[in-house]
Amino acid sequence: MPSIFIKGQEYSYSEEQIINFSEGLIGLPNLRRAVLVPLPDCEPFFWLASMNDEKYRFVVVNPHEIFPDYNPSEFVILNEYETKFLVIVKVSSDWQKTTINLRAPILINAKSKRGVQMVLAESPYRLTETLPNN
Amino acid sequence: MLVLSRRKGEKIVIGNEIFIEVLSVSGEGVRLGITAPSETSIHRHEIFVEIQEANHNAEMVLNEIEHTSLEQLSAHIRISKKQ
Repeated sequence: MPSIFIKGQEYSYSEEQIINFSEGLIGLPNLRRAVLVPLPDCEPFFWLASMNDEKYRFVVVNPHEIFPDYNPSEFVILNEYETKFLVIVKVSSDWQKTTINLRAPILINAKSKRGVQMVLAESPYRLTETLPNN
Repeated sequence: MLVLSRRKGEKIVIGNEIFIEVLSVSGEGVRLGITAPSETSIHRHEIFVEIQEANHNAEMVLNEIEHTSLEQLSAHIRISKKQ
């Protein structure tokens, strides 16, 4: 099984965990291939880590785990089925100050494993949404 | 930077598949019509920059984050889900 180092720790992954971003993430055109691995002891969070040289890594989460009413499909036309959303988490060392980017979610085609980061420019969703009940 | 002058109704082409038409001009404002393949993302520049910065910040901040912060965050999410 192949493996990747993220923040000094080794994670093994399988082919199904690789996501291809044909355009990269917004402002990160080189992030073409990334691997999605669960963060150990930190359910429901995942690492999304670049497989390219630069070794970019993000903490991501299925938005519905935290915001059950989050519904980006109201603001974007989805022409592919079997898609799932991930959102990027900006972790703070004071965890209560963590924010989540609901405005620019990552959309992944579950079948083809192609991903794209989109902007819900016409939506009220915020770039730095705070945690609920805070 | 390439600079082109265009009038209302005229277009420019980028590559083979991206067409930008000047729909109307009024004062300092211009309305553009853009035709591009569906997989091409198109953003207003200020929004692009805003998301780019958010991506960089979310990534950079991880340099200083200990695993315990992530565990605390995760515990909080699991507790609030149960309620």
